[in-house]
Amino acid sequence: MLNVCSITKTFVTRPVLRGVDLDVPEGQAVCLCGINGAGKSTLLRVVAGLLRPDSGSVTINGHNIRSDPEKAKRQIGMISHASMAYPELTVLENLVFAARLYGVPDRMERIEELLTGAGLMSYRHDRAAILSRGLLQRLAIARALLHRPTLLLADEPFTGLDGDSSERLLAIFDQFVRDGGTILMTTHDTRLGLRCCRRVAVLDKGSLIFDAMKEKIDPDRFADDYLSYARGMS
Amino acid sequence: MNDLGKGNPEFRICDFWLGLRAIIVKDIVVELRARQVLPTMVVLGMLIVFILRMASESALTGGAGPVLGAAALWVAFLFSGLLAQERSFASEQQNGCIDGLLLAPLDPGTIYLAKLLANVIMLTIFEVVVVPIVVVSFNLHVTGGWLHLAAVLLLGNLGISSVGTLFSAAVQLTRTRGSLLSIVVLVILMPMMIPATFALLVLFGAMSGQTQTLASVQGSGALAFVGSFRAAVGYMLAFDAIFVVASWLLFEFMIYD
Repeated sequence: MLNVCSITKTFVTRPVLRGVDLDVPEGQAVCLCGINGAGKSTLLRVVAGLLRPDSGSVTINGHNIRSDPEKAKRQIGMISHASMAYPELTVLENLVFAARLYGVPDRMERIEELLTGAGLMSYRHDRAAILSRGLLQRLAIARALLHRPTLLLADEPFTGLDGDSSERLLAIFDQFVRDGGTILMTTHDTRLGLRCCRRVAVLDKGSLIFDAMKEKIDPDRFADDYLSYARGMS
Repeated sequence: MNDLGKGNPEFRICDFWLGLRAIIVKDIVVELRARQVLPTMVVLGMLIVFILRMASESALTGGAGPVLGAAALWVAFLFSGLLAQERSFASEQQNGCIDGLLLAPLDPGTIYLAKLLANVIMLTIFEVVVVPIVVVSFNLHVTGGWLHLAAVLLLGNLGISSVGTLFSAAVQLTRTRGSLLSIVVLVILMPMMIPATFALLVLFGAMSGQTQTLASVQGSGALAFVGSFRAAVGYMLAFDAIFVVASWLLFEFMIYD
């Protein structure tokens, strides 16, 4: 489904990604861990087509993000710590705008469905500027799922969320994977990440140094080991 | 919550016009709500017109109204336009909205064109407010006809906006220093401002031979290079075409590289 092949990326003189290879089949959720500066967000931005790699390729469902960007981008939904919502527009207007960009055919029905699912129906006429962090994150999720993507990229999706909001987000991820969707998520919170992902990978200085299925590891031990490793690196 | 594949026709080609219209409408709605660009443009434009009007009090009685009026119009459009257009991509920086735009299945050129058209609309609104004030303040007579005046202003508007929109993207997306780029933009716009000034001087009846047909009006001094009203319009058209196409092509490299 997602094929990342020998991606390298250098910012000025600093190599950030050094030949990353990653294959993610349909319906799999991958938790990508790594300390700050390991290259997690850069990798996600390259996969999303927001950054161009120096070399290597990204293919989503057979569509190359460079040579066939419009078809590849239709497959992608992205959640990051930034909500991508215009503060001057209402919740509904933000979603209508995004739906128009993607040419969603049954626009209003789809938006209503997502507003209900995200618990945003009563906030639909509120401007994004007055929403709390948790509500903005729900809007970001609704926006990411609006065009029915098959690949969800989530960059530190739990940052700034309280317990309830994190649980809600985990439930959405679970449902997305049950529906056959694929997730590539970065997080510092390995325990939360491992709750919804079947596979975990660790990126260190731009290289993948660990990649395993959840059933092959002890999640608690992995979380503890990762914490020790992260402390040692920082 | 998600419903994969259902209603997602296998890669329906995103309608270019739908994306273009969505961004233009969004930009205008955001501006009407935020009220950041238009008020700034109008206040700065009025200030420029007012200062030039006051400074040229004595010259106006000597018949220099058309010359000063043409100068006041272009100075007001240029500085107000560039100041306002600098905000064009600044609004996309809030909450990472630019990522939302770039994630959409749109050609980057479509984003540039939509931003350009939104800026042209804003500057047109500004022109509708400022032109009558300049015409009255400087006691101008549009001897060349209002339709010609509208056409010249629209060409100038498109030229300023094409460069201004690219400049805004350069400042906001590449985090380049804005002050340095402003100077570059003003230098880039100079080749258009000469024929643009010539055209307005003809339309306000300030050029010699204003009783002849517009096509044969001859310039003098620094403006002699332009030659005639028709040539001035031709230069402006060529400038607009070159810079709209060049900016449209450059935009993709600017946002990704």
